[in-house]
Amino acid sequence: MPDSVSDPAPEPEVLADGAAPSPRRVAPFVVAAIAVVIAGLFWILIGANTSESDTADSPLLGRPAPVVKTTTLDGQPFDLQRRKGSWVVLNFFNSTCVPCVQEHGELAKFAQEQSQLGDGAEFYTVVWDDNRGAVEKFFADNGGSWPVLTDDDASISVAFGVAKVPETWVIDPYGVVVYRLISGTTDDQLTRLITQAKAGS
Amino acid sequence: MSRPTTRALNASLKRWPGWLLLVAVVVVALAIGATRSSGPMTDGDRIDSIAQRLACPTCDGESVYESQASAARGIKQQIKRFVEEGTSTDGQIIQYIQTQFGTKTLLVPNASGFDALVWALPAFALVVSIAGLTVAFRRWKLASDTVPTDDDRAMVAAALALEGELEQADGS
Repeated sequence: MPDSVSDPAPEPEVLADGAAPSPRRVAPFVVAAIAVVIAGLFWILIGANTSESDTADSPLLGRPAPVVKTTTLDGQPFDLQRRKGSWVVLNFFNSTCVPCVQEHGELAKFAQEQSQLGDGAEFYTVVWDDNRGAVEKFFADNGGSWPVLTDDDASISVAFGVAKVPETWVIDPYGVVVYRLISGTTDDQLTRLITQAKAGS
Repeated sequence: MSRPTTRALNASLKRWPGWLLLVAVVVVALAIGATRSSGPMTDGDRIDSIAQRLACPTCDGESVYESQASAARGIKQQIKRFVEEGTSTDGQIIQYIQTQFGTKTLLVPNASGFDALVWALPAFALVVSIAGLTVAFRRWKLASDTVPTDDDRAMVAAALALEGELEQADGS
């Protein structure tokens, strides 16, 4: 077997000066095309939105909130349409989700603070794929006296496009979705976002 | 069947361009398959067929139909509600889920906008490669069709003469 590494095949087309110049003419164009593609990719990378944002994107932002018509765990009817005039915060929750458990204390603080304000936000938990007994036990063990909304047919979570919990949504007094927060949140963050939104509205 | 008859049949089959029959069968089968109505669908069939076209938003490579994830089960329940209401087409239901959960939930990409590149690029690559190969084959054919020069003929004649001489020398 010939040793192709130590004895490379001659390249007459390239070496013979002027005999077959086509590869030399094509090469600059190929290099230029590759350079343009790489420059384009850099442009996309530079233009990408890398600013750190508290909130997540959703097609619902700036649009009327989906219909939320359900009952609370203790059987009271709830209709989001009828909450117009108040800031509403919906928190999608599952008692087995660790970040949900971790943020619970912060949410309790937030709900408490808002309830003491004249124009405070109304806070609601939406049960996400969990059984009532487990949720009731969780609230009994960990506190929290705000209304807990049932979503047995998953219509609320699908309407909001909730794929994982926790997720928190802020809805303004006109019923328009203002913020979507993915993963755990804090009292400070929610308070700051609502203050900002109130100042902007 | 006697042996000669079988042989004649084989011969006629060999002469006959069998691949033409193969192409005809494939075309007819595809045409029937593409246009055949699968009959009325039950609600369950419709729910399943829509769920098979949507990707579970929290899984890797699983459809809503296969997945048992919470989000996928929620989407399945929503599809069921839409189908039972009977007011939305399959496309409208898929559009709704796509709007709420994003385009990643589509197992079959859109044929319009930026997503259309998924369909267009392979077709474009196919056309370009066929064109490239056609050009290359033609060039090779032209190169191999070159007429031998007088020098070539002389070289061959000399080689044949030498061979003849060697054979004579061996024979004698």
